[in-house]
Amino acid sequence: MNHIIIRKGHDIRIAGVPSQEVTSVPGSETVAISPKTFRGVKPKLLVNEGDTVQIGSPLFFDKAKPNVKWASPANGTVKTIQFGARRIIEKIEIKVDGSESIQGQVFTSEQLTSANRTTILNRILEANLFPLIRQRPFNKVANPKNFPRDIFISAVNTAPLSVDLDPVIESEKAAFQAGVTALSKLTDGNVVVTSKKAMELQHAEVQTISGPHPAGNVGIQIHQSKPIKPGEIIWSVNAQHVITLGKLFLNGSYSPDILVTIAGPGATNPQTVSAKVGARIGSLILNQDLSEPTRLISGNVLTGQTVEVDNFLGFYDSSVSIVLDTVDRPFMGMLAVGNSKSKYSITNTFLTFGEKLFNFNTAQNGELRAMVPINAWENVLPMDVYPNALYRAILAQDIEEMEQLGMLECDDEDFALCSFSCPSKIDVGKVIRDGLNMLEAEG
Amino acid sequence: MKWLRDILDKIAPTFKASGKLEKLYPIFEATDTILFSTGERTHSGPHIRDSVDVKRVMILVVIALIPCYIFGAMNVGYQMAVALGQTSTLQENLMNGAFKILPIIAVAFASGAFWELLFAVVRRHPVSEGFLVTCALIPLVMPPTIPLWQVAVATTFGIVIGKEIFGGVGMNIFNPALVARAFLFFTYPGRISGDKVWASGPDGYSGATALAVPAAELSQDAVTLLDSVTQFDFSWINLFMGWIPGSIGETSTLWIMVGAVFLALTGIASWRVMAGAILGLTGMAALTNFMAEITGSTNTMLTLPAHYHLVMGGFAFSVAFMATEPVTGAHTDKGRWIYGIFIGGLTVIIRSINPAYPEGAMLAILLMNAFASLIDYFVIQGNIKRRMVRYAQ
Repeated sequence: MNHIIIRKGHDIRIAGVPSQEVTSVPGSETVAISPKTFRGVKPKLLVNEGDTVQIGSPLFFDKAKPNVKWASPANGTVKTIQFGARRIIEKIEIKVDGSESIQGQVFTSEQLTSANRTTILNRILEANLFPLIRQRPFNKVANPKNFPRDIFISAVNTAPLSVDLDPVIESEKAAFQAGVTALSKLTDGNVVVTSKKAMELQHAEVQTISGPHPAGNVGIQIHQSKPIKPGEIIWSVNAQHVITLGKLFLNGSYSPDILVTIAGPGATNPQTVSAKVGARIGSLILNQDLSEPTRLISGNVLTGQTVEVDNFLGFYDSSVSIVLDTVDRPFMGMLAVGNSKSKYSITNTFLTFGEKLFNFNTAQNGELRAMVPINAWENVLPMDVYPNALYRAILAQDIEEMEQLGMLECDDEDFALCSFSCPSKIDVGKVIRDGLNMLEAEG
Repeated sequence: MKWLRDILDKIAPTFKASGKLEKLYPIFEATDTILFSTGERTHSGPHIRDSVDVKRVMILVVIALIPCYIFGAMNVGYQMAVALGQTSTLQENLMNGAFKILPIIAVAFASGAFWELLFAVVRRHPVSEGFLVTCALIPLVMPPTIPLWQVAVATTFGIVIGKEIFGGVGMNIFNPALVARAFLFFTYPGRISGDKVWASGPDGYSGATALAVPAAELSQDAVTLLDSVTQFDFSWINLFMGWIPGSIGETSTLWIMVGAVFLALTGIASWRVMAGAILGLTGMAALTNFMAEITGSTNTMLTLPAHYHLVMGGFAFSVAFMATEPVTGAHTDKGRWIYGIFIGGLTVIIRSINPAYPEGAMLAILLMNAFASLIDYFVIQGNIKRRMVRYAQ
């Protein structure tokens, strides 16, 4: 079995680590999906305000790929469809009422093993769950017409304050196995599952990985095991969504519940809860005391989006991070020795060896500057890519050089730690995303 | 410090857009953020950020230079006493030396700050902390006898031509402090070429520097020659400790090492560059020693062993604080090794084979600054080639 050791990278010692025990919270009264957040998708509505929907009934589809539809995570009525500028569909909000779901064909594990690609693909498409599958390069919703080289599943979360996937997969082993078996039909290559410890799985190639974040990012795992080449397409599915797909085949219906961590220095009660995809943020943080000014983030602190209480959990997100939004301005802060709870650095430029966990806030801790290459990016990027050169190729809009430097193997989430550690406060991840957009537009 | 914060907050609107002194905003911003850490929050990307910023990086370099400053002051005082034939205590040395070098520091910082602020205001870019390091380095590579106007001219040249015309810190090709020194070196060679000692003393007080001693003689053994000098103690241990005349900060390899280790541990300076330079120096010195033996050359400098090269002249100082400057050096780890090795090697070549200048480290670094991008280019091409081979499979 292949074992990958990641040496470059960093596990941020952020306070507010969630207990992995699942706490029950009252279900969200409304859930929502935001069509505009899906990269490269031209959404077209299939429902109107006031329509009744069931769990699994389609809400909208992609004009470019009409058979790719998005399932409703709840049973109830469509409360609002909110449009933004230029009729962009901001969100489709559903008032939850009951738990009826659309029933489809149930597969036994033997049927699943002997099924062919068309059967499996059609079942996923007709259950409106295809958007759970994303593709590399570009990290966007996959195209069912493509034949992926391999399908990668990361069974390890290394992002700050994320759900520990080991017990989740352990407790849903049958569904996870069913999901893996189903996915293995969609590729002529392998389903590659990367986990912390060895795992008994059929119809998949299991590899193990050790090391700090971003070891758990599927992009890093692909790069370290079998890097993507131009023209190749790789699909990836979040481990929790593999379970969702497995349950679809075993039970015949969509189970939209996933485990979500509510964590961070601003969380007074860091915990793991079970929630619906697209749950209202307010419903997830009911037992957190938010009297201090805090920033709510759907997703992890490195790559998540700022949200308000009335917003909703992102489609692919499985954490709500809460960081303090109070930024103080210490006198002569640049001379601080740093042995405090607030000065945290990957570099040894502060004496912070003694502290274990740090109360991060939203301070940028410096101003934007030209890059000063002290290896801050290279030390946290476990890829055979020169981030510095790539960054400059993107700024110069040199498509050819970008490709040569490995742009296709990169994704902004893998570069989030570079932005975190950059002394010049450059948002490297955003620039990488710009580069990918340029490359995609070029064809 | 709340009163200071209150004052700054009170005058802030004057400098903001459509305020009376809007044009001077960069100066206000610099003062504000140097006194109090910035209150800026994250907008996009990671919501939390590492505590290190360019200000911290730069101020730590300045802190790493403090041992050199203190020793430099003591040494200047000591050399003065030696020149006058007096004996003095460490405190007296420190006081006398400080009295000599403080004006140089003040002039360097004043002229550096003037140009940096002027460019920030005119070109509307934020004041970059990098000038602190440049201005802190310049006095250390100046002889204590330097006229103050030359310090001002050199600093001006270093900051303006070495840095600002390229767009400021991060865009410059050559190390501004070295540009400043090179400027003096070529425009006023009588004062700074490195063959006569620089010690404050009575008029006409002079002598040969450690590097000039072997350079001046033919067909001798360099170490024996150095040991035979009576005016100064040019034994290896004394060269290492630094009680010799020279530029203010460059003489003590010991205290330079303290600063270098500090910078390497904090990750600000690349240990690869330093290790590469020492490797290159050792290798090239071994080669010249070997050449001296087999060719029977009359060049005494060829016989100087590596450990002497290491402690003599400005090599240790330039490698620790100038070659490791991240912007003007190579940007890739492999490139840093090559860059360092070349600096070490070239230093020995310039010192031993070029008869015009006894000192070579400064020129070696400036030359390699020019080639750093080329080295990176080949390292990155290597990466691209590997990738293309993989793609072709």
